[in-house]
Amino acid sequence: MAGAGNKIRNAKLVLLGDVGTGKSSLVLRFVKGQFVEFQESTIGAAFFSQTLAVNDETVKFEIWDTAGQERYHSLAPMYYRGAAAAVVVYDITNAASFTRAKKWVQELQAQGNPNTIMALAGNKADLLDARQVSAEEAQTYAQENGLFFMETSAKTAINVNDIFYEIAKRLLQGQPAAQNPQGMTLNQRPTERLVNASSCCS
Amino acid sequence: MATLRSKDRAVLEPFAEVDPAKSAGLPPSAPLTIRSLDVSSASDSKTLVYVGTGGGKIVLLSVDPSSPSSSSPSPTLATGNGRDSPASIASSAEGVEFLRLASVGSRVVESILVLSEIGRILVLSGGSLFIVDSVLSQPVRKIGVVKDVTAVAKRIPCSEGSGLDFMGDGASKGEILSSGKKLLMKLGVGIKANGSGPPSSEPPREGRTSCFVAAAVAKKLVLIELMLSGSVDNDSDNNGVSVLSKEIQGIDGAKAMAWLGDSIIVGTLEGYTLFSVVTGKCTPIFTLPESSGPPRLKPLWRSKDVLLLVDNVGIVVNSSGQPVGGSFVFRQPPDSVADMSSYVVVTGNAGIEIHRRKTGACVQSVSLAKHGSGSLIVANDDQGSGEVVVIATPYKVICFRKVSAEEQIKSLLRKKKFTEAICLVEELESDGEMTKDMLSFVHAQVGFLLLFDLRFEDAVNHFLLSETMQPSEIFPFIMRDPNRWSQLVPRNRYWGLHPPPAPLEEVIDNGLMAIQRAMFLKKAGVDTTVDEDFLLNPPSRADLLESAIRNIIRYLHVCRNKVLLPPIKEGVDTLLMYLYRSLDLVDDMEKLASSQNSCIVEELEALLDDSGHLRTLAFLYASKEMSSKALAIWCVLARNYAKGLWKNSTPSSEGDSLDISLGSTSGQKIAAAEASKILQESSDQDLILEHLGWIADIDQELAVAVLTSEKRINQLLPEKVLAAIDSEKAELRQRYLQWLIEDQDCEDSQYHTLYAVSLAKSVMEAVYMDSRNEDKNYRDIDEMDNSSVEARNSHNHLVREKLQLFLQASDLYDPEEVLDVIEESELWLEKAILYRKMGQENIVLQILALKLEDSEAAEQYCAEIGRDDAYIQLLDLYLDPQNGKEPMFTAAVRLLHNHGESLDPLQVLEKLSPDMPLQLASDTILRMLRARVHHHREGQIVHNLSRAINLDARLTRLEERSRHVQLNDESICDSCRARLGTKLFVMYPDDSVVCYRCYRNQGDSSSSSANGGRRSLKKGIIFKPGWLVSR
Repeated sequence: MAGAGNKIRNAKLVLLGDVGTGKSSLVLRFVKGQFVEFQESTIGAAFFSQTLAVNDETVKFEIWDTAGQERYHSLAPMYYRGAAAAVVVYDITNAASFTRAKKWVQELQAQGNPNTIMALAGNKADLLDARQVSAEEAQTYAQENGLFFMETSAKTAINVNDIFYEIAKRLLQGQPAAQNPQGMTLNQRPTERLVNASSCCS
Repeated sequence: MATLRSKDRAVLEPFAEVDPAKSAGLPPSAPLTIRSLDVSSASDSKTLVYVGTGGGKIVLLSVDPSSPSSSSPSPTLATGNGRDSPASIASSAEGVEFLRLASVGSRVVESILVLSEIGRILVLSGGSLFIVDSVLSQPVRKIGVVKDVTAVAKRIPCSEGSGLDFMGDGASKGEILSSGKKLLMKLGVGIKANGSGPPSSEPPREGRTSCFVAAAVAKKLVLIELMLSGSVDNDSDNNGVSVLSKEIQGIDGAKAMAWLGDSIIVGTLEGYTLFSVVTGKCTPIFTLPESSGPPRLKPLWRSKDVLLLVDNVGIVVNSSGQPVGGSFVFRQPPDSVADMSSYVVVTGNAGIEIHRRKTGACVQSVSLAKHGSGSLIVANDDQGSGEVVVIATPYKVICFRKVSAEEQIKSLLRKKKFTEAICLVEELESDGEMTKDMLSFVHAQVGFLLLFDLRFEDAVNHFLLSETMQPSEIFPFIMRDPNRWSQLVPRNRYWGLHPPPAPLEEVIDNGLMAIQRAMFLKKAGVDTTVDEDFLLNPPSRADLLESAIRNIIRYLHVCRNKVLLPPIKEGVDTLLMYLYRSLDLVDDMEKLASSQNSCIVEELEALLDDSGHLRTLAFLYASKEMSSKALAIWCVLARNYAKGLWKNSTPSSEGDSLDISLGSTSGQKIAAAEASKILQESSDQDLILEHLGWIADIDQELAVAVLTSEKRINQLLPEKVLAAIDSEKAELRQRYLQWLIEDQDCEDSQYHTLYAVSLAKSVMEAVYMDSRNEDKNYRDIDEMDNSSVEARNSHNHLVREKLQLFLQASDLYDPEEVLDVIEESELWLEKAILYRKMGQENIVLQILALKLEDSEAAEQYCAEIGRDDAYIQLLDLYLDPQNGKEPMFTAAVRLLHNHGESLDPLQVLEKLSPDMPLQLASDTILRMLRARVHHHREGQIVHNLSRAINLDARLTRLEERSRHVQLNDESICDSCRARLGTKLFVMYPDDSVVCYRCYRNQGDSSSSSANGGRRSLKKGIIFKPGWLVSR
């Protein structure tokens, strides 16, 4: 990693999840530090980029915030194809969104790049009273599927930067000497990453 | 920052509208319906518009975008000169000219592609492809290789490194792109279609003379290369174009297509697929959701991307099928798309939307509802400037041109939408359509507009954001033209949106008048552009002027830190001072004047003088090294302070915060301090001496600092200085002399004497004063302030100490002169020192012993003299003080006690007076005698010890001399190397042996070592262990 120096590594990151789970809010919080109470529904996909410094390296995230609407589901593969990382978002106050998140994970496992780092974000963690999905349940699921899991809140900013930071860290750990200028290919054996992921989140 | 609302913007403006049917002279009974459209810019002033109709006709129009602007096309007839056809007369708009009408049959012209590389037009109609030259001058020819074509696309060559390697294929892009022909070669051998020779028989042509087209036919793709043949006759079939083609199977149902480099993006009812012409692989990009419209896509020539449409969403993907940027969200599902570098123009049912490429934001929407319903088609020249955008309704062609960024900004500025204008400039800059300089230009322009709108703070904020604006542009607002800097002011009127520069007062008066007028108009119900705030709370002239000046000060202040030409720098500083003055900002004025500045003094002199800003003026003079003028002012100020005139003659601000009495003394001090600061640096002797007096009157210390400054280059001449110092100012004189002697190491005895005499006089004076005060003290002891008495005492003490120290330390003064001064006084110690200098030992001892009764000092002095008789002399003085004084036995005994041993007892005894009590002297005499004996015995011991050593040495010498040495035949002289044989020889203490002759030559004290070197026994003394005296 020392050889990589202060290079900027580009990483394509995609956010997936049911409609209204707060994907756009998460990105908005991460990229601009803002929160809008009534975020408009994303159509197609929105694009953002944000750099993050991890130790002495810099990761430039190219973030694709996809639309949660079922109608645009068919567009998703275009966005997660070749992604270095995917954040699957569900709403902790909505059990259906968790079910949908599991479907996304399955789809990614089936269709996506096996090297994609997957994160599961239980958003709206500030709405504890309305919780429908327990953290344990999600944690167990994440462990079983080799994801790393965090409960986030775009509104209060809890864990938002942390989840991206964690992704960046894993990206850098995963590809010590990647020379790919696009920074989208990961050359690491998936099993190794699974071990990392589960041990880290236990 | 405010975002631009689409209603504020006008990226496109219509400039011509034409009914192609009418202009082509077709009878109203056979109307044309426009079904396809393409545009090609033939030159800067001429753009060709190809209109495809439902009835298989192609109408060619020529559009001149540089024709005078008219947002509502005027019905003026075009004066077309080329053709006498009625069509050109029928042209309904200026700048549009009908050129020609061609027919490709009777079926719908679905698509027209301008192949500018080969100067041909490709037309898709009724499933067949037709080719015709770009001005439709030759007959239309059908391309026979394909039929039942559903979609056609032109290949857009991608520059190298644009990500063709999406499949991990290692094929060199350069190879593919270097020559168009190689592409088809790579795909397979070109099929000879029209009897022209095989491609290998001809040298590869420049890319310009051939182009590639993909046609979707039933279940396959046909890739076609169209090449310009050498001569027209050769291939008259296809208008001089030869055709090579290659079929690719397995691509079904293509409705829309784009060809970017090595990728063909195909839209079918199911979705979009990427086909690589290099690998032959198909990769799905995405599938279309249910019940969405047919696939529509638009290659974006400039960025080498493709816009794929799903419902009302536009997704841009690159030639690898990877998404690029966020999605466009259009208000309605678009019918047609055009690419305008930083904008995307789409047409829907009701009108046109223009979106920014970068953000996807809609910047303008134009409703064309009045032209009736029906789908709108938009086209522009992808490859050209793209400035002309043509929209076709089913029956009409409307030409739009891009409003230049400048015009867009200007129009916003005219509407006083400043934030929006800046927002637009920033947007344009981020799109790379505008330079940074332009941004600066607009900031400056906005600043001037705001200035004339009396919004001075905002104006200056914008001025500060402009990197190109010159501070001199502000000068005419501050100082009326013509002035010293008039020539420097750039004649930059920007867009001429603001009046010419005028002094701020005028600007404000005019602005206020405008506000008045606006208020009046408003009452009458007329809208104005004047600021609402101003209308509601009309500002006062004074407030405005102050705000204007303060803000311009702020601007000039920032400008001072920039790198400026010297004359401009001068202008900035001078005008800054000018403005400070107008607001009476005394602190700022003085700060500016006393710091490094480029003010032009001549411009300010009179002004500052008139307004009584004398301090500022003095500082200014000083900073410009006009010392004499500065000093003159300080001198006057100091005098005025002293007379208390200041409070009458100054503006209130100076004395406002200060208590007047405090102000006058401290003011005086400050004046003196400033003057001394100047003089400390100055080498102008006359000037210094001229001003020394009044400075010394105010503060002696400052005067001293002036005289003793080491900052000046040429030191002052001491004699001049001393002559100039007022004789009353003894301390100043002393301090100067002290500095001269102590710090400058002056060794001129004259000054030493002068210093000593001066000090002595001061001491004398002090003594005199003291004695007088003592008398006084008896009477007014209560009136005297204890502390002041103490202070004076300590001061006197210090002076005396100084005198004593100096008298002791210096040998250069004339003691007699000093003595003359103190002769009469009781300054015994000083006298002692002086007599000592004069060598009058006896008098010194007398003073020390008798006057001062300082026996220690007296004894010390004796020790310094170092002769025994000095002690005797002292003893004599003690024992016989004369003048009727009692003998000082105690002192005498002490002296004997301390130095008795060095005195001759006989002499002592002789001196001892018979009156001396024995009990006093006995101890001492006893001791003296004992010491004598002791001394004697000590001497004896030393004598005997020396004798012992002497004996020892003699013994050693004897031993040395009685040493034996053995010589044989080989023994040689250590010096001349001759055999000694039986010769007389000498042995040195270091055992070297030389012949007698050599000994005679070299003498007693230098031996010869065995290796021939000489050794001086005097220098290198030899000791042998036995020689040391050990007993």
